This record gives sequence, structure tokens and C-alpha cells, in this order.
Amino acid sequence: MTAPLLSVRDLRVDLKTRIGTLHAVRGISFDVARGETLCIVGESGCGKSMTSLALMDLLPRVAKRSASGLTFDGQDMMRPRVAEKLRGRRMAMIFQEPMTALNPAFTIGDQMVEAYLFHVGGSRAAAVDRAAQMLEKVGIGSARSRLGQYPHQLSGGLRQRVMIAMALMTEPELLIADEPTTALDVTIQAQILRLLKDLQRELGLAIIFITHDLGLVSRIADRVVVMYAGAVVEEGSAAEIFEAPAHPYTCALIDCIPQPGKTERGAHLGTIPGVVPSLIGRQEGCAFRDRCALSEAVCARPVPVRGHGSHHWACIREVAA
Amino acid sequence: MLIYILKRLGLALIVALTVSVIAFALLRASGDIATALAGEGATPESIAVIRQTYGLDRPIPVQYLSWLWDVARGDFGQSYFFRTDVAGLIFGKIGNTLILGAASLAIALALSIPLGVLAAIYSGSIIDRAVTMFSLMGQALPSFFLALALIMVFAINLRMFPASGADSWRNFVLPALTLGYYITPPFMRLVRAGMIDALNTDYVRTARAKGLPARRVVFKHALRNALVPVVGLVAVQLGLLMGGSVVVESIFALDGLGYLAYQSISYRDFPVLQGVVLLLSLAYVVLTLLSDIINAWLDPRLRAA
Ligand SMILES: Nc1ncnc2c1ncn2[C@@H]1O[C@H](COP(=O)(O)OP(=O)(O)O)[C@@H](O)[C@H]1O
Ligand code: SF4
Ligand SMILES: [Mg+2]
Repeated sequence: MTAPLLSVRDLRVDLKTRIGTLHAVRGISFDVARGETLCIVGESGCGKSMTSLALMDLLPRVAKRSASGLTFDGQDMMRPRVAEKLRGRRMAMIFQEPMTALNPAFTIGDQMVEAYLFHVGGSRAAAVDRAAQMLEKVGIGSARSRLGQYPHQLSGGLRQRVMIAMALMTEPELLIADEPTTALDVTIQAQILRLLKDLQRELGLAIIFITHDLGLVSRIADRVVVMYAGAVVEEGSAAEIFEAPAHPYTCALIDCIPQPGKTERGAHLGTIPGVVPSLIGRQEGCAFRDRCALSEAVCARPVPVRGHGSHHWACIREVAA
Repeated sequence: MLIYILKRLGLALIVALTVSVIAFALLRASGDIATALAGEGATPESIAVIRQTYGLDRPIPVQYLSWLWDVARGDFGQSYFFRTDVAGLIFGKIGNTLILGAASLAIALALSIPLGVLAAIYSGSIIDRAVTMFSLMGQALPSFFLALALIMVFAINLRMFPASGADSWRNFVLPALTLGYYITPPFMRLVRAGMIDALNTDYVRTARAKGLPARRVVFKHALRNALVPVVGLVAVQLGLLMGGSVVVESIFALDGLGYLAYQSISYRDFPVLQGVVLLLSLAYVVLTLLSDIINAWLDPRLRAA
């Protein structure tokens, strides 16, 4: 067993709000190995973005993070300034909105080289060469002339490619992608996914891919973390999650994936009935119980974590639902 | 970029012509010009002669065109009160006002940009509140009060700067401080609001995610975008600056355009007032044009518009 690249233990994110403390992330743990793709999946609002921002130490001021362990290649990222030194160099991040993630006032080239010059140094000409090379690598033609363009001159798909190229300038070992394809149309989405997989193979990059779309997860994940209301409800290899889902929430999500051949064209995709509980204040027992078809009285009490090997889930039920 | 500038230029020309019509109408509406030019106790005959000499008996549109032609060649007519060329009168004083305006603007920007950035970074904290207080005071305090306080301290007690006149750069220090502080609050508020917005944008998050030092994130990525509306405000605030310069120039007996405007109003010297209004309006148009061009340079998205 080699040590994981990223290790997260009991990570919490609390936000001060007017009506009380919102516990957006409620003690989650997972590891990411070098070169693998870990997908974090869950409905909107379950704390996926807060998790990724906490890893990068980029949380908004109202949010505070805590953890019993958070290490990157053995370095303790809870110590002040450690994450700051790693980000943009050994771990990079791309975001959901390619239309707003680039600064409108500066050229693509300027934005691509500035962090490289800061972290790696060298001449500006060398950095520009590297930027052109990276643009070609993410499939952008006539790279040299693109470097002189401003973000508003590029389509959403191209901007997301630029974001990826920019993130990979310094050859990071970990890329966190927070819903990188959600704002793009389906064709572009497929291209970006393929691009990420190709780059991963070529560069040995570890990827944390965050999405609310389990259909995407089935196409790219090595391992999967399923989140619900700020907590991990199930974790396992892609095969375990898709072939033997154990948690009723995961099963419900999988029922929502359109299946080629099985789902009729135009058929109403199943959505999980009910609403997500408030994240203000503590939650006793299983947070899913109001929406769970299998809930029992004991579900209101603290729920055990079950499982074996790499597959774990938090439910009173011993076997797959 | 060239098309953008040409479009703005066309717009500026239209505005300038509109302004000229208004300035022309101002003088015509002020009463009979021939009577005023002839002075008190003039005979009807001499008034008629003046009317003919100056072409005041021609149809109004013809008068407007010939007046416009005169103005274009720098002839603004005769002052009723000073009995001299309006043009010569104005150009003799414009330098002092330009120096005062530029110095005040520089002071206002030098105060409001760092303070606004500081207030935005620490928004909601005691630093933010102190900066906001300081800027609110600039607005609440009448400028004559600040002027008198500055005169008390720096002119009378410390004898560092003179209280009146326009002989050396030292004469401009106290008026520029007064006027600069007076126009600081709107700039400060705009910089603060712009910076708070900019610091919350996705692109600033991207810049932080790239691991850039905080200084670079604030001063390159956020400030550049927060300054776009400030450039526009400079042109708009020019009105406030001009209004303020009337008061400040009068208090410090600084012989400039504002003081001249004040005098021309109290002497009902309409040709001078017309000249000053026309010139200030044109200056305003030119500055707006300049700020549009600077904005286009700061924000590449505007260039396409
Ligand atoms: N700035 C904020 N202030 C208050 N609550 C927030 C803020 N940002 C996010 N939240 C809340 O935190 C929770 C988790 O949000 P987020 O991590 O963005 O969810 P996801 O990315 O999974 O959609 C949500 O309930 C959301 O309403
Ligand atoms: S613990 Fe109970 S309520 Fe929660 S998922 Fe399992 S069966 Fe459903
Ligand atoms: Mg999100």
C-alpha cells in the first residue's frame, strides 16, 4: 500500500448565518491515490463545493473549516499557509462557470503565464511557449493567436479548455474539478470529459471530479463518494457503487440515470421525492430518513457505518437495498 | 477600437452642439442684449445703432450660426461689466482653475483608492467603519467650514501655507485639500463597492486558486476591474468639482474660473456667464469622451460595443 496523495479525515465546514450555524460539511473522510479519479456526487446543496473549497483553503470568509487530518503528500494542510503554498502549483482547481472564471480585463496568455512565472520562474518567453504548448494539448488550435485574445472572445467550451490548460501549467499532481461541465452543452461536455481522461493518463494526474450527475460518474470514476446533506453516505469503487449500491440514497440516484435502451425516449426520469433537510443545527440519526422508503424508527438514532474492503455505507441495513 | 472611438466622437459632437444651443439661448433669454451693451442711460438711437452693428436685428437662426462661427474662432463677445473680451478674461483665469481641479482630483484619488481598497478588504470591520466615517465627514462638512479650519491651522497658526492669492504652488495647497476632500466620498464609496464586488467574483477566486500572493490578487485582478466605474465618475464629478471651485476659489481669493462665474452671476454679466458655461460644458464633453476611451482600454469587452 502506498500512501495516498490526499487524505481527508473528519472534515467539517461551518458557515455563520443570521439564523444560526449552517453545517455544510459534517465530518467527511476519504483518500485520493495518485493518478486516480475520485468522484464526489450528490444533489445540489449537499456540500460538494464547500468540500472542494475547504481542500484548497479558498472558503469564503463566513465559512470555517476544521478536520482531524488533512494531508497532501504527507504535508499537514490544516497548518497555516501550507495549502496556500500548494495550490496553483501541486494542486489546481477548475470551476463550474467558465464564463466568469477568467478575468475579463486580461488576455488569456497573461492569465496563463502569471502563476507559472510566480511558482516556477524563468523567462516570460519560456512561459509563453509553455502556455501555447498547453493550449495545443487541450485541443485549442492556433494557440499563439489565442494567447492574445480576451476571455469574451471565446466560447464557454473553449474557456473551460483554457481553464484546464491554465490549471495544468505547473504540472500539478491533483486537479479538483467542481462541476466543470455542468454549464456546457452535452457535446462539449463529452469532449471535456474525454480530454480530462486523456490528460490524466498522460500526466498521471489525480482528479477529484465533483458532479450532481451520476451518469457522468459512471463514465469517468475509479472510485465514488456519495454525499447527502453534508455527509458521506456511501463510498466504494465505481463497480461497487454501480453494480451493488448499498445505501437507499445511492439506489435512488441510480434509478435517476437514464439507461440507453432501457429508458424510453421522453420518459419522466425518476426524481427522489421529498426535500433535503435543513443544514442549520445538528442532525441526529440518518439525514435521509424523511425521504427513504425503507426508514424505520431506529433510523432516528445514530446510524452505524457498515461495509467491507473499499465499500462502506452509513445505514441501518446490512445488505444492499 | 477605432470604430468605437469614432462613434463616441460623433456622440460628443452632438452633445457639444446641443450645449451650444442652450448657451446661446441663455444669453438671448437674459433680456435685450443691445440695451445691456449700451449701458445705463443710453438713448434709443444709440441702442438701435448697437443692434445693427452687432447684427441683433437678424433672424435668430442666422444670429445663432454667426455666433457659433465666432465662438469656433474663439470670440465669445464682450463683457458687460469688465468691458473687455470675454475670451481674454476666461483664458487669463482658466490656468488657475485647471491647476486647482487637477490637484483636487489627484488628492481625491490618492485618498479614495487606498482607503476604498482597505475598507473593502476589511469590510464590516472597525477599519471599514472608520474609513466610512472619514468619508461621510467629507460630505457632511460644508466645504467653507473645512476651508476656514485649514486656514486657522495651516495659515494662521503654523504659517505653513498662505490663506489667499494665486502666486505660487503654496497658494494651491489648502484650496486643493478642501476641494479634494469634498469630492472624495463618492470616489471612496465607488472604489469600496467595486472592490467588494470584484473580490467576490469567480475570477478573483481563480486568481487565488492559482496560488498568487494576496497583493497580486487584490491590486491586479480585483482593482483593475473595480476602477472601471471610477474613471466614469471622474467625468461626472467634474460638475461637483466646478460647483465646489466656485465656493473654494471665492474663500481663498484664488482668481480662477469659478470665481469669475461667481462674479458674473452677481453682476448679471451674461456674456461672461455664457462663455464660462460653454467652456465648462465642452470640457465636460471632452472628459467624458476621454473616460470612455480609458474605460475601453481598461475593459476590453467595451471595445466591441
Ligand atoms: N455563502 C454562503 N452563505 C450561506 N450558506 C451557504 C453559502 N454558500 C453555500 N451555502 C450553503 O452551504 C450548503 C452547501 O453548499 P455547496 O457546497 O455549494 O453545495 P453543492 O456544491 O453541493 O451544490 C448549501 O446548503 C448552501 O445553501
Ligand atoms: S438509515 Fe434508515 S432512513 Fe437512512 S437510509 Fe438507511 S434505512 Fe433509510
Ligand atoms: Mg456546487
